[in-house]
Amino acid sequence: MTRVAAPKLLLILALALAAVYLFPLYWMYATSLKGASEIFANPPTFWPREPDFSIFPATWERRTMDTFLWNSLVIATGVTTLTVLLGTGCAYVLARYRNPWIDIGLFAILMLQVLPASVMITPLYVGFNQLGLLDYPRTAVIIAAAGKSIPFYIVLVRATFMSVPSELEEAALVDGNSRWGAFFFIVLPLARNGILVLAILTFMQAFGEYIYSKSIITTQSLQPASVGLSGFLGPNSTDWNGIMAYAAMYVTPIILVFVILQRRIVSGLTSGALK
Amino acid sequence: MSAQPQIELVGIDKHYGTFHALKNIDLIIPKGQFVALVGPSGCGKSTLLRSIAGLESITGGTMKIAGEVMNGVPPRKRDVAMVFQSYALYPHMTVEQNLTYSLRLKRVPRSEARKAADEVAKTIGLQQLMHRYPRELSGGQRQRVAMGRAIIRHPKAFLFDEPLSNLDAALRVHMRKEIRALHDRLGATSVYVTHDQIEAMTMADHVVVMRDGVIEQQGSPLALYDTPATRFVAGFIGSPAMNFIPGTIADDGQHVTLELEGVAALPIGRSLEPSRKVIVGLRPEHIEATPGKSGQIVLPVSVVESTGSLTYLTTDGAPELTVVITGRSDIRSRDTVGLNIAPERVHIFDAETERAL
Amino acid sequence: MRRILSSITDGKGFDLIMVGMTMLFLFALAGVPLVYNVVMSFQQVDMFNLNTFSRPFAGFENYVAIVSQPEFWLVIRNTAIFVFGSIAGQFIFGFALAIFFMLSFPFASTIRGLFLVSWVMPGLVVGALWGWILAGDFGVLNAILRGLGIIDGTMFWKSDPNLSIWAVTIANIWLGLAFNMMLLSVGLAGIPRDLYEAAELDGASGWQRFTTITLPMMRSTIGAVLALGLIYTLQQFDLFPAITEGGPANSSNVAQYWAWQWSFQLFDFAKGATVSMMMLIFVLVASIVYVRSTRHEVRG
Repeated sequence: MTRVAAPKLLLILALALAAVYLFPLYWMYATSLKGASEIFANPPTFWPREPDFSIFPATWERRTMDTFLWNSLVIATGVTTLTVLLGTGCAYVLARYRNPWIDIGLFAILMLQVLPASVMITPLYVGFNQLGLLDYPRTAVIIAAAGKSIPFYIVLVRATFMSVPSELEEAALVDGNSRWGAFFFIVLPLARNGILVLAILTFMQAFGEYIYSKSIITTQSLQPASVGLSGFLGPNSTDWNGIMAYAAMYVTPIILVFVILQRRIVSGLTSGALK
Repeated sequence: MSAQPQIELVGIDKHYGTFHALKNIDLIIPKGQFVALVGPSGCGKSTLLRSIAGLESITGGTMKIAGEVMNGVPPRKRDVAMVFQSYALYPHMTVEQNLTYSLRLKRVPRSEARKAADEVAKTIGLQQLMHRYPRELSGGQRQRVAMGRAIIRHPKAFLFDEPLSNLDAALRVHMRKEIRALHDRLGATSVYVTHDQIEAMTMADHVVVMRDGVIEQQGSPLALYDTPATRFVAGFIGSPAMNFIPGTIADDGQHVTLELEGVAALPIGRSLEPSRKVIVGLRPEHIEATPGKSGQIVLPVSVVESTGSLTYLTTDGAPELTVVITGRSDIRSRDTVGLNIAPERVHIFDAETERAL
Repeated sequence: MRRILSSITDGKGFDLIMVGMTMLFLFALAGVPLVYNVVMSFQQVDMFNLNTFSRPFAGFENYVAIVSQPEFWLVIRNTAIFVFGSIAGQFIFGFALAIFFMLSFPFASTIRGLFLVSWVMPGLVVGALWGWILAGDFGVLNAILRGLGIIDGTMFWKSDPNLSIWAVTIANIWLGLAFNMMLLSVGLAGIPRDLYEAAELDGASGWQRFTTITLPMMRSTIGAVLALGLIYTLQQFDLFPAITEGGPANSSNVAQYWAWQWSFQLFDFAKGATVSMMMLIFVLVASIVYVRSTRHEVRG
């Protein structure tokens, strides 16, 4: 229908809405660049008078961000690896068949998505303690966080596999492949894009993992950036300059990756989330 | 005293950005007429239909429905009904609710609406299906519900947007007759868009052939068949399509020489300017074929196909000619065949303008 | 033996391994802890018997103790406000945005995709951002509201006991809005265009088209979105330590944070397990609604 308001007008409105929504992000960068006293100006300035980039290296040093970010990386990588390894094959099988067993499996996984981490952390902590896993806190967090991300990953990757026609696989089997061959050489490459996107999403979520890390890792040198932030962030914080600088450095890589992959991420989510 | 036309389109223009979709369309549709808009994909027939409905806006010209100017009037105030290609039945409503939807919007009392729906259901044979949902219906049933939904509104005009293209062939033939019968029974005014010229020919009182946003020719079905105004119309109407062969008018002005091997000059039964470059059109069903080497056109046959009641011959050569023979034939592939055609059946089109001469 | 091997490479064994490994992992990591949680809520747990399985049986003591806590009803109230406020805000704004982005204009889908950035950001960072925006004297939200003439003085979003839960709710609405919008967009896109055209020809105005076509056809989508909203809101944790730490005086404490506090600040794991169990009931109800809404997905 060509009877809507001028498209240009709508575009401007859309940009305005996006600007309002993304304002907190802008504010984070603006606040970090303002001098420590300017952030307390009343009324607040919307553009830093003299952008001061020195806050970034200063905060990096003071808050030992190199260690924290490294730990975040370790945890995120571990979670993603575990999730992809365990989740992909499972999603594939759940996509290929439909029978009562599959239904039970899918139901179980859907139910698992639902459990809040705050419910799981107590028994997990006690259990890890009894197994002695708390001596390897980052490993424990990786395992726990993987348990949290695998169900969601399976649900979405399953949707990706369902879009790979089964005729291709059947042709591969007839051509002489075993199930493994058909899976690795035919199905997997075709699902590669969807899996990649979801792996990246899993990574980004694990990069910000907080509750498990906070509860399980007590040695500061092993804590990830999220716990590092919580060390000086709270209802009574005053070092907002530092907090925003920390947050900016923590979050900018994620935002960059997101902006680059935004289209793929959106299509991956929308095709899998609700069919 | 001439009755006021039900739909009147004068100088209709439509642009999509820089794309000129409809160019200066003039069309008058009297009350009670069944008009078919035919043409290849992209010719603008659907656009024109949707413009009449108000689903597309026009950028120029005047459009009147029942004498009132409808430029800029939104669809829901135009009092026209449309049957969509996909039927567009409301999936979450029963057949009865689908039928009564337009009435319920106007807050017609329940009992009145139900009565109206029952009447319509009787007219199109839906009585048993009133409480079913669209997903439980077959294609043909859904089609009828779509029509019922249009009928119940007693609109000023019915608009059909390729309503039969989703049905299988046998059903299509059946529904063609039903739709036309319904139109007659209701005394309705209908505009019917299709890409299938057989539907247009069999159903319409008036056929409009469109190409590239322009009306190439309009008239009664048989008029378009007998006297196509352009080569395009000639090739579009009639199945199998007309054979076209380039040629030149002979020196005596009464014959045409074809650029085709094995052909003598054909008499054309009228006088035309000698040496004029033309395109000759021969309908497959007007060509007589006899085995052997005598005839106006003598060519070897490459393919012979028989459906039991008709035989199709395809000749070897450039261009290939298609001939249709009623009944069976002894002619076999690789035989030589002699073709003859009566002069009055020879269509001539100017090679450049492609208009009929 | 050979048959087993062949099954693994060519037959059912392959499927079983793929699914089995993962299911075992998930069972160990989710199923077992869940049961353990139930058990612990009926036990007496302290620092000394933390490492053993057999702990003194406590019957319903833990549950009674929790319910008798002075802050119990406050936590319930806060959780209810947080859940309903978040779901309502995310749904209404998400739906409005979804409808807006259905209109066609250049770059519509790209701009819409930008909103999802909130979904990939660490919850703690989002909490930090909103903690600063909602700050009393120097927060930019108050400055904007004052500038627009909506308020006169200062609203102490984080430290006023009446407002603190709303502070976290606002941040949560921002966080979950984009996801709601995405899911609702998918539902909206599933409604064929020509249904709207048919309705328009039948005489329906814009609002009538919305109520008679859009809403009924989106019923299962809306059900799923609301159920997911409930599930994700009950899972939301990170915002609390970042913005209010549940205070002041538990005025913004919710069930999930309270459970964590019991275990990791007061080191009373049994109480933590008990509150978790109570939360679980609600989560289960929501998940049943969710699974039923997406049942067609389960069927494939």
